[in-house]
Amino acid sequence: MAAKPLVSAAIAIAALAVVPFVASGSEYAIEVLFLIFLYGAMATAWNLLGGFAGQVSFGHAAFLGIGAYATTIMTSSGVSLWLAVPVSALLAGAYSLVIGIPAFRLRGPYFSIGTIGIGEATRLIALNWTSLTGGASGLTLASAPPLVQQYFAALALLVAAVGLAAWIRTSRFGYALAAVRQDTDAAETLGVATTVAKTQALFLSACILGVAGSVYALHYLFISPDSVFGFSTSIALVIMPIIGGLGTVTGPLIGAVVYTFIREQFAATLANADLLAFGVLLIAIVVFEPRGILGIADRIRGARKKPARVEATDA
Amino acid sequence: MSYGLALIYGVLKIINLANAGFLMLGAYVTWWLFTSFHVHPLLAPLVIVPLFFALGWGLERTLVRRVLHAEPIISLLLLFGVWLVLQNLAYVIWTGDTRSIETAFVEATVNAGGLLLSVPRIYVFVMGVLVLIALQLFLTRTYLGRAIRATAQDRDAARLVGVDVDRVMGIAFGIGIALAGFGGSLLSLLFSFTPDFGRALSLKSFCIVVLGGLDSIVGVAFGAVALALAEGFGVRYMPASLQNLISFVVLVVVLVALPKGIAGTVRALRRGS
Amino acid sequence: MPETILEGRGLSKRFGGLIAVNDVDIAVERGEILGLIGPNGAGKSTLFRLISGVMRPTAGSVSFAGKTITGRAAHDVCVAGVAVTHQIVRPFRDMSVVDNVMVGAFFGRRPRPHGRVHAREGAMEALALCGIAERADTPARALNLSGHKRLEIARALATRPQVLLLDEVLAGLNPTETDRTLELVRTIRAHGTTIVMVEHNLRAVRGLCSRIVVLVEGRKIVEGDPQTVLTDERVVSAYLGTAHA
Repeated sequence: MAAKPLVSAAIAIAALAVVPFVASGSEYAIEVLFLIFLYGAMATAWNLLGGFAGQVSFGHAAFLGIGAYATTIMTSSGVSLWLAVPVSALLAGAYSLVIGIPAFRLRGPYFSIGTIGIGEATRLIALNWTSLTGGASGLTLASAPPLVQQYFAALALLVAAVGLAAWIRTSRFGYALAAVRQDTDAAETLGVATTVAKTQALFLSACILGVAGSVYALHYLFISPDSVFGFSTSIALVIMPIIGGLGTVTGPLIGAVVYTFIREQFAATLANADLLAFGVLLIAIVVFEPRGILGIADRIRGARKKPARVEATDA
Repeated sequence: MSYGLALIYGVLKIINLANAGFLMLGAYVTWWLFTSFHVHPLLAPLVIVPLFFALGWGLERTLVRRVLHAEPIISLLLLFGVWLVLQNLAYVIWTGDTRSIETAFVEATVNAGGLLLSVPRIYVFVMGVLVLIALQLFLTRTYLGRAIRATAQDRDAARLVGVDVDRVMGIAFGIGIALAGFGGSLLSLLFSFTPDFGRALSLKSFCIVVLGGLDSIVGVAFGAVALALAEGFGVRYMPASLQNLISFVVLVVVLVALPKGIAGTVRALRRGS
Repeated sequence: MPETILEGRGLSKRFGGLIAVNDVDIAVERGEILGLIGPNGAGKSTLFRLISGVMRPTAGSVSFAGKTITGRAAHDVCVAGVAVTHQIVRPFRDMSVVDNVMVGAFFGRRPRPHGRVHAREGAMEALALCGIAERADTPARALNLSGHKRLEIARALATRPQVLLLDEVLAGLNPTETDRTLELVRTIRAHGTTIVMVEHNLRAVRGLCSRIVVLVEGRKIVEGDPQTVLTDERVVSAYLGTAHA
């Protein structure tokens, strides 16, 4: 991997690691950063399937929810966090394998709409399986690790997710996913086992979301089918990478920053104004610069210098 | 409403998520016309159909057209964005409170040989069948209808034989959205609604379409019947909130067992391929 | 003694009422350049799709290097050693030319390259052979038709095939480009790859192929050396109409 991004990343991580100690008075700042890390990790996870492989899923909240509920249930029964979180992740991953079987029989837009159903169906199951999930009243956690620990957990998750994405991008697996995104059938004729590749991407994204769900549960101490399995969560997972740059490594994180910012701004005003804003933003991006913020940055850079040769985007 | 979806998809090879949004909007506009202007809900379609046709046509011309040449994901995302805007606009304007239309007509029932039938349901059913027949006739017997089908099958070939593809796409989109709005208007007679209205229905519509095969209206009708039957069974044995799951479970089962959808499999069996 | 490396027996494909390929037997000898010709709609591309696993045959079997590969997925067939190009080119438009070919290098017949550097080397070799190495880092969508056709070949070549199925690689090329492509095909064969070409350019086929198979309306009507086949009255009438036979 190139040295320069690695060094910048290391510096950024170091800076972020210091924040809680420097800004210990401002819990709000730590909270916001925590959310950015968490959403960034979630968006990066979604992007593995949606951006790298081009399989846009509107139902990924299902995995977040499974992680959240599994961890909540296990820790409430006395299981150690160190065991509960990985197990939750694997449960989310296992679920993804199961739904992948019918889901990947669908292609393109069909697949995407089908995932809406998957997200919905999972939410309904959680809603009705009251013996396990407590139904609509949700579940609560008695206690949580202190915010600073959560902060570092979220940061670690983000670093892991982005690191994984960066590694995949230039790996053999990454080439398979890119080929699947561009032209699944052509990829098949070149020896790419496309369904296997898609399934692997789905599994990875589900596991990461499973961990994120655990962190979410530990943070809010209350989860309900609507909060973790809700469609608006799934929507957020789609919007963030698109805003930042679908299929790039850092795009989802950039999108997470924008998302968090917009949400905080609109939280005080009308209930659904933020989603409305996202809808408008989504339309604007799709019509004018489908590659999102990173795409816009690319354009500006390209306009500034006259390139001797054109390079394929590789952020 | 499935027909609108099939039509739009066929011509534009795009699954129109925004359809759900326009369906919901149709219901709300009907309600709004009723409460603010005392327009009888049965007359609302007179306003809705042309209005939504114009909206759909305008949408195609301004936004959809620009993304036709990009990856299919992009058009999907665009229409998803439109749906997001519509739904949340509805939330903002009309709030999330449940709305319903209450008139004598909506409450009316008719006694047919001992069975108490709800008049609005009969009306909606009849209208549904009429629209289906009208649509089928339009697509098969009129020039425009055939132009739409031709464009759906092969845009370039249609262009070569003289079809004004740009105009056709705008019209087809307009028709699809108008149908969605009309559907919403009809449904407002039967159900109370919130801005979330379109989504569950959109899902069912999608299930129907995949079950029945996207390319034939007969297939879609068949899928609709099949799903209605499945749900009929479901009503007896499952708690209310799980009913929406039924269509989905059926879809999953069919997908795993019959990758070509029901109609596709039937066709394949019949021709021995 | 010519060795059959790829064989199709009794291959048929029906689409509803239409029979696109009708009971075709085809045997490809190792190291040859076999031509597959016939009027439009004769089923040539469909036959390729049946062999490469893109479509399942309605009837018949395909075997490669002695092993049955009928019904195997396209990616399995490629990994086994049979690669195919598309009549209408399908480049990965948003990826660079070399990245396109690296997909082939990464996922073709084993042994596969172990890392990106190694895969890129293999890709650059294929690109160099096809004469587009200098465009390696341009986005694939920036190439013209001739470039796309070469990319299509390079990509398939990168999968290290033992048999390469070329589907109308000469279509749309001007005479200079055609000659260069013919040279390329000869070079590929010289490196040890068996080639089957679907072609409409009969002059090219005559000069390049040692044997020709003719398909008309899904059936094989004749096969043999170019001289015999191309003067066969059935072949002439199939292309030009019976008045000229």
